[in-house]
Amino acid sequence: MPSKKDLHIESSGEVCVSCGACVGICPLNCIYLDEWRIGFDEDVCTRCNICVRACPVGAITIR
Amino acid sequence: MVADLRCDVLVVGAGPAGSMTAKWAAKSGASVIMIEKRQEIGSPVRCGEGMSKAWLSDVGITPSNRWINLEVEGARIYSPSEKVMEINEKHAGNEVGYVVERDAFDKQLAIDAANANTTIHLKTHAKALLRKNGAIVGVKATHFGQPFEIHAKITVGADGFESQVGRWAGLPTNLQLRDMDSCLQYRMTNVDSDVRYCDFYLGKVAPGGYVWVFPKGDGLANVGIGVQVSQIKNAAETKDYLDRWIEHHPGYSKGKKIDMVGGGVSISPPIKQSVTDGLLLVGDAARMIDPLTGGGIANGCIAGKIAGKVAAEAAQTGDVSRTFLMKYDQGWRAVLEEKLLRNWVAKEKLVSLPDEIFDKIIDALAGVKLEKLSVLNILKAVKDKYPEVTKEFENLL
Repeated sequence: MPSKKDLHIESSGEVCVSCGACVGICPLNCIYLDEWRIGFDEDVCTRCNICVRACPVGAITIR
Repeated sequence: MVADLRCDVLVVGAGPAGSMTAKWAAKSGASVIMIEKRQEIGSPVRCGEGMSKAWLSDVGITPSNRWINLEVEGARIYSPSEKVMEINEKHAGNEVGYVVERDAFDKQLAIDAANANTTIHLKTHAKALLRKNGAIVGVKATHFGQPFEIHAKITVGADGFESQVGRWAGLPTNLQLRDMDSCLQYRMTNVDSDVRYCDFYLGKVAPGGYVWVFPKGDGLANVGIGVQVSQIKNAAETKDYLDRWIEHHPGYSKGKKIDMVGGGVSISPPIKQSVTDGLLLVGDAARMIDPLTGGGIANGCIAGKIAGKVAAEAAQTGDVSRTFLMKYDQGWRAVLEEKLLRNWVAKEKLVSLPDEIFDKIIDALAGVKLEKLSVLNILKAVKDKYPEVTKEFENLL
């Protein structure tokens, strides 16, 4: 049984509008907005899916 | 190699709350540095651009055509079946006001801060806090990608909704899902907005939030939505809700989008603690957004003025302790906390209302001329027409 940690989380640069909504809501502060680009600390992220719901445009996927 | 810097007050983030803090700290005699991670202050705009105006003179902002887009006469609240209640300036006092150009507004506030002798560094990104004996004494930052340090007696986190400074400092800024709206807005041209009103559409079109239309003149308008994150199940629902609303409103579906902005808005109760040794938080970073309206500019600026004065005083006396900085914490609470709490309670109630109740409330209010817009007056008006509805609100009376 693969753990959720094995899933890959990413923000699509083609969809992301760099708004920071995901950064502000992440309970573990493992999302970074470096001026324009969103990045994840995949070791900290528990794939809780909250940022996926908070992203207004659906840029974040976990698979 | 960038040389390290030293100052009394370091402000992280050059939005309205940051510039206000910087200006008032500098005016109070402190040496002030304000850093902004982006290349341009005020851009990209992440805001509906509606703003009340009663508070401006209190914090020393002079209205200017440089940033005022237009002045509206009032607001219209639409119920789910689109019954309309109009709130005009007579009822709402100065609560309704301007539609602004936020980029120009933010730049003007930064200019005011600069004119008060604030040093501004663009393309400068805070990466971590510097600590000494448990207190915050500045930040590690990059300038055009080059690492350096800024040593400050007081560090101010004015880094917005996605604030890192507050998190690094261990302040309780985490949000519950019900205390955040996921927002998206299009600037649209060729739409039928009315330049006399800011419009708000409530109910299932935007669960836990609302759709707004803020006119910009000449057929331009900001058409946006906020949806409570706890009511979102799947990816991209915020955009789906907004697109669906536009599709069902011919005056807007014929329009063309020229700009798109997203964002997070906190709709939370006031945070428990906004200061720690050597550091304070202000504006959206301190969750000062009005949880009912989603407006953050006024509260951020009002708190910024207090923050700037207290930060300067702390730097000058050399007492940068949490105990001293509580003067700021108590200062902003004295002005904002009661309303933030009351509006959070009202928001919690409103988001749980079924659409039929919304319709009855707006219908009851549509024909009533309220002397003054207050929760109490609204409840009385609704009670006259639909007494069963106000039972839900008895605890607010």
